Amino acid sequence: MNELYPHPRINGPIIQVTRLSKHYSNGHGVIPVLRGVNLEIHPGEMVAVMGPSGSGKSTLLFILGLLLPASSGNYQFLGQDVLNLSRTDQADFRRRRVGFVFQNCDLFENSTVYENLEFPLVYAQVERHERPARIVAALERVNLAHRLRHPANRLSGGERQRVAVARALVNQPQVILADEPTGQLDRQNGHMIMENFKQIMAQGDTSLVIVTHDTQVAECCHRTFSLEDGVLYES
Amino acid sequence: MRFSDLIRVSIRQLVRHRRRYWGVMLAIALGTAGFITIITMGRDLKQNFNRDLELLGRATLVKVYFERLPAYFHQNFTSATVQALRKMQGVRDASLAVCTYMAQSSNNGVAHNFSLFGVDNAFWDVCGFTTQDGRLTSLADNDLRQRVVVLGPELAQTLFGRKDVVGKKLEIQQDIYTVVGVLKNVGLGDLSHFAFMPFTTAQDRILRISPANRIYLRTLTWDDVDKVAPLIPQVIQSVQYAPGLKVEVAWDQVKRVKAVAFWVQLFIYSSIVATLILGGVGIWTVMMAAVRTRTREIGLKKAMGAEDQAIMAQFLAEAVCLSFTASLAGSFVGLLTVEVTSHLISSHPPQGLFLFCVILGLVVAVGLGVAAGLYPSLQASRMEVVSAIRYE
Repeated sequence: MNELYPHPRINGPIIQVTRLSKHYSNGHGVIPVLRGVNLEIHPGEMVAVMGPSGSGKSTLLFILGLLLPASSGNYQFLGQDVLNLSRTDQADFRRRRVGFVFQNCDLFENSTVYENLEFPLVYAQVERHERPARIVAALERVNLAHRLRHPANRLSGGERQRVAVARALVNQPQVILADEPTGQLDRQNGHMIMENFKQIMAQGDTSLVIVTHDTQVAECCHRTFSLEDGVLYES
Repeated sequence: MRFSDLIRVSIRQLVRHRRRYWGVMLAIALGTAGFITIITMGRDLKQNFNRDLELLGRATLVKVYFERLPAYFHQNFTSATVQALRKMQGVRDASLAVCTYMAQSSNNGVAHNFSLFGVDNAFWDVCGFTTQDGRLTSLADNDLRQRVVVLGPELAQTLFGRKDVVGKKLEIQQDIYTVVGVLKNVGLGDLSHFAFMPFTTAQDRILRISPANRIYLRTLTWDDVDKVAPLIPQVIQSVQYAPGLKVEVAWDQVKRVKAVAFWVQLFIYSSIVATLILGGVGIWTVMMAAVRTRTREIGLKKAMGAEDQAIMAQFLAEAVCLSFTASLAGSFVGLLTVEVTSHLISSHPPQGLFLFCVILGLVVAVGLGVAAGLYPSLQASRMEVVSAIRYE
């Protein structure tokens, strides 16, 4: 159970996206990236989004995390319209509801594992004495509790990505948005990351949206979607 | 983001990237140390500078005498007048003197005429005279009316044919005097041809000696001259009847010394300001570079839910911590410099002034940090998350 931000028990989807569109203007015209995307994600569900490079997978992920604004459509998170939130409320949404894992294992290089995991808690204004337990708990979920005081820049690639997963989990979000989290890992480490995700999702509170090229990663998920020419199809 | 977290994270960043910040910290520390030293030691240094400048110009020497008219020939100053002048604010000391321009001596059967001053023991400090050989007349010489004499170097040469004449006997108006010292020939001018003996001895033994009608007065600094000089007649007349009083000040020299001091001060203060500005520009440059090199970090933190204000506050806090720490180090260096300088020139600058300078230095440093860090911090806070995350 999420102690930091208690998750409301709901029967419906956590994420409900309807007719979501995104386009960019380059001065000569409009370039559509997403066209009328519909998506529902339920609690504890693992969803993979596949598609060729430039198909808009990452853009969809960024819109779901409110890192990018949508051009049109509807996005409800736990029944609440989140597309029109203010900048401050968007930041609050990211703190409370989502955790990100990126392809490049973006850890803070000059910090320890503990300090990397502490940042989300700092921004969420968690009391300092509560932080160590939360951090250790998050690291235990990726089997890296023994690396607590290790400098981030001395970790292996697989360990770095697992620390990134733990950092996404430390605020106990309802959705993890992962952008090709195994993209730069070898098969063994990639498998370990997916096993970690499976264990986390099995606990039922958190959902996962994962953008990937890797069919083996997609096979680990409950549902797989394909994004082609800006249109999302369920495979 | 809590304030304690903000400061902790900022200090951690500074410590971990300390090599990047050395130059900037050094500039601010030196600026602060210079500022504290100059302000705290300013007056004491000026007084010492003033003493040394006397050898060149005597700008702070004020001569008080009676007009040389028959009606005032017998006017003289009292010791109460000298005491009153010594108590004036901005006056370092005052000395009473008697004089004759017709002293006679006979040395080896050859007669010489020369000028002679009867001076109290304060005279030497007031006029800034020292000896090249022997000693000056003392308070004991005055009290005991000793028959001792200090010669100007040219007079020693004239009378004895050489200048190492300490211990020699000299006959002046049929009394035998012992030469106890020869003055250094720096800044003496015509007085190089004069002889000097204790004030009381001159009054007792020298025929046709003048009344005590001249006072030499030294101000603390050249800034005090124009405050003290106009008040002198008023102070004297409050003690004694003093018609025909004249106050002589070397105004041209005061003006020149002030001009020199002004340019020196301007140069010093400009150097300090330039150092601090360089420090500020340094902070600005370093923080701009930090914002650029930490672009992905900024994007990542925003993705974690950091608000724009939190990002801005973090970079601003780093800039302020940087300048504050440097200023703290500068204050310590300033304290050491003040201690060493105080020891060297034997002065005791007021503690309150030092503390005021330290506090002012820290406040200026914080202001500098805010001013220099504001724009880079704004840049950081306004970054779009996705562009920042994708920044290579």
